[in-house]
Amino acid sequence: MTVSLTLENVSAHYGSTQVLKDLTLAVAAGELVSLLGASGCGKTTTLRLVAGFLQPSSGTIRLGDRDLTRLPAHQRDIGLVFQNYALFPHLSVRDNVSFGLKQRGADAAERKKRADRMLERVGLSSFADRMPAALSGGQKQRVALARALVIEPPLLMFDEPLSNLDAKLRVDMRVEIRRLQRANGTTSLYVTHDQEEAFSISDRVAIMNAGRIMQLDTPEVLYQRPANSFVARFVGFENLIDMTVVERLGETVTARTKDGALLQLSQERLGAIPDRFILAARPDGLAVARDGNGIPVTLGIRTYLGRAYQYQCAAEGQSYLGNGSLSEPLDTGDRAVLSPVPEQCCILPADV
Amino acid sequence: MLADRWLRNKMVKRLSPWILAGPATFLVLIFLIFPVGSTLFATLTDAKGWLAPYMAFFNSSLRRTVLMRTIEISLITTVISVVLGFIAAYVVAHVPGRLKSIMIIAAVFPLLTGVVVRSFAWLILLGKNGILNSALLSLGLIAEPFSMLYTKGAVIAAMVYLFVPLMILTLAGVLEGIPKDVVEAASSLGAKPFAVFRQVILPLAMPGLIIGAVLVFTGSFTSYATPQLLGGERQMMMGTFLYQRAMVTFDWTGASTVAAIMVVVTIAIVVLMTRLARRMNPMAA
Amino acid sequence: MIMQTKLHPALIAIASLIFLILIAPLFIILGAAVSDTPFLTFPPQGFTLKWFSNIFQIEAFRTTAITSLQIAFLGTFLALLIGIPAAYALNRFKIRLPSWLSNVFVLPILVPEIVLGFSLMKNITIGLQLPVYTTLLLGHTLLALPYAVRVVGASLASFDFSIEEAAISLGCPPLKTFLTVVLPNISAGVVAAFILAFITSINDVSISLFLTGPGVSTLPIQILAHMEQFFDPTIASVSVLLMLLTVGVMAIVEATLGLTFLTK
Repeated sequence: MTVSLTLENVSAHYGSTQVLKDLTLAVAAGELVSLLGASGCGKTTTLRLVAGFLQPSSGTIRLGDRDLTRLPAHQRDIGLVFQNYALFPHLSVRDNVSFGLKQRGADAAERKKRADRMLERVGLSSFADRMPAALSGGQKQRVALARALVIEPPLLMFDEPLSNLDAKLRVDMRVEIRRLQRANGTTSLYVTHDQEEAFSISDRVAIMNAGRIMQLDTPEVLYQRPANSFVARFVGFENLIDMTVVERLGETVTARTKDGALLQLSQERLGAIPDRFILAARPDGLAVARDGNGIPVTLGIRTYLGRAYQYQCAAEGQSYLGNGSLSEPLDTGDRAVLSPVPEQCCILPADV
Repeated sequence: MLADRWLRNKMVKRLSPWILAGPATFLVLIFLIFPVGSTLFATLTDAKGWLAPYMAFFNSSLRRTVLMRTIEISLITTVISVVLGFIAAYVVAHVPGRLKSIMIIAAVFPLLTGVVVRSFAWLILLGKNGILNSALLSLGLIAEPFSMLYTKGAVIAAMVYLFVPLMILTLAGVLEGIPKDVVEAASSLGAKPFAVFRQVILPLAMPGLIIGAVLVFTGSFTSYATPQLLGGERQMMMGTFLYQRAMVTFDWTGASTVAAIMVVVTIAIVVLMTRLARRMNPMAA
Repeated sequence: MIMQTKLHPALIAIASLIFLILIAPLFIILGAAVSDTPFLTFPPQGFTLKWFSNIFQIEAFRTTAITSLQIAFLGTFLALLIGIPAAYALNRFKIRLPSWLSNVFVLPILVPEIVLGFSLMKNITIGLQLPVYTTLLLGHTLLALPYAVRVVGASLASFDFSIEEAAISLGCPPLKTFLTVVLPNISAGVVAAFILAFITSINDVSISLFLTGPGVSTLPIQILAHMEQFFDPTIASVSVLLMLLTVGVMAIVEATLGLTFLTK
């Protein structure tokens, strides 16, 4: 049984501080959606609201056709995986996994059978009688995962489940989580501050800031076509250049930067360009060359990236990061020009 | 500096742990282990024969009564203190900042006030002119004031009053130490509030609870001021009995025997219960 | 509004009642201390401060109060003087000291105070003919020692000794290193140990009980002795003064460590 999770106009306050602002979010049945953002963006608050540890000041939370909004946490039937694993330190691995079954009134034999089967699925059969204190971080997180999955919840939620693990284990575990989630087709909400983790594991990602969802889309769209400058900066568009159109000739638009440099851009390759806009470019979207059409700059520090050189570039009152070819290294203090590579750039509406 | 040159000396360096720990060890050795050891030793080398003082103690029905009464009062005090302390500590651990500070102050203030003052308060409360008598009189429940002093109940009331703050502060620390996400994990897995308490909070608090109970029991078992003020001659306990033997009847063998029983009971309970608490500690793999 | 943890209202009510009962008797003492009656009563009848002035007319209260303060300060100071080096040694040289040594410093807590008091009288004052005052002081030093060793030890347990090595590698001599690098970092533990030991010493009955003699007694013992003979509000007013001392100590705790340190 797979169901969808919907949040409608959910707001939340801590005292007089509003931490969630009219949040609306729909996670389709069987889908894994990540909430991604820096600490304090409201992602954990959202998860805790759904779990029932916090009460929203307004709005509704629905799981399938059940209204969860005012339901106590223990009646919500949600599998939760915590950042610090939150295993019961006084219970063995098996008893940890069977805890939820016990609350549902399953008898001892049934509990043992299902817990052991679950432990087998996460590869911890031989650890069933150990105490949590005797497990490594990765094993603890597998137990936590098994404990959440064994109750066969209609919704799984993950609160930064991998942040206490080392880099290699993080990659293994996220593959494991994805595998188990796919196999059961369980609707899932996943909270993380790690972009790579969110993008690799999710069907869709909601990038959050200051209690709002800035953009909710597939990782591919977020990575290539951010909707606004916040998301663009978040996914690595380090150059955000404010521009104003000065002339339009067919599909070719001439636009001016703040410090007066002129660029010619093609709407055929970049899409429609409004009169005021932001040109967003990753470093490899701004080509550094000795001369040509572009923004004149003075080069700063050069860094070797393996596939290219990266330059810190300074223009009047603004700085950029651009990449230059390996065949033609330039030196600090050289004059150069930056020209946008259309495939690596995108046009964003101007910030108001 | 001379001191520093001395400290660099190889011999001094090698012995430095002992030089540093020496004076404190010496103090305990000479002024605790020696005198207490002598007291205990004296009970085993009595002129009347080996274990004679203990025979005398356990053959006297008066002394047996004192011991049994002490155990009874200490047990009742412990149970009541644990229950009241747990409830209060649970609330302390969960209320928001301001109310919590007030509650902590309300527990710390009596804790830091001396045992004499605190027992004395119950003397006023329970005496003939005390507030309890006045209240009962004005409610018409009793015709004339009666003294509630020198009863078992009076000793227990004052003793509970003595130890509840200690229990509250011990358990508040323990309960605050239970990770919030473990409790949340339990309720997310469907545990009702009482099940969370029974299956998660209580087992995790148990080691601390045992330690607290041991403190209360041994404290009650060896107390002097409270039974002296509120129990008097009629509710003689081990502490008051020891004092009476030593300073009123100058029966030092008798006093030493009481002291020895106190030491054995205290150490046995502390050792057994801390071992139990350690075994129940889930952090031990 | 976000509600974090929900407490059952009945639970809050019971807890509030417990805290009320914890505080109320101390206010009753305050009431009894100002009652214009020759016997102890509450609620007070009339209002007078004569019982307070009465304290100062009784010589024994003054001398025992001075003894109590002397013993508490000196005993605590001595305990810290020998206890801090011991705590340091136990933490710094864990491997070089036998493991039973730390248990030695638990003994003053483990052995019932009244047994210690009796044994000190029997085997030290009488047995070794040591002056009563000296035995009393050493008894209180013993009472304070576990706080010095264990509370300071807890601070040292979380002290990073590589800081000390850093200071020594920079040319700071060992004693100066301890005083200028280690001590400032464990000062909270030292303050806590001092306060706890001082308050324990000043309130002690069971050890002092046996260690009194001509001209030597402590305030709590004097209060007990006074109560044997008189049942007037003088004791209540002495108690009020002692509670003021508690308030003072709590103010110091709050200012230096914060009261929540007592729940740890």
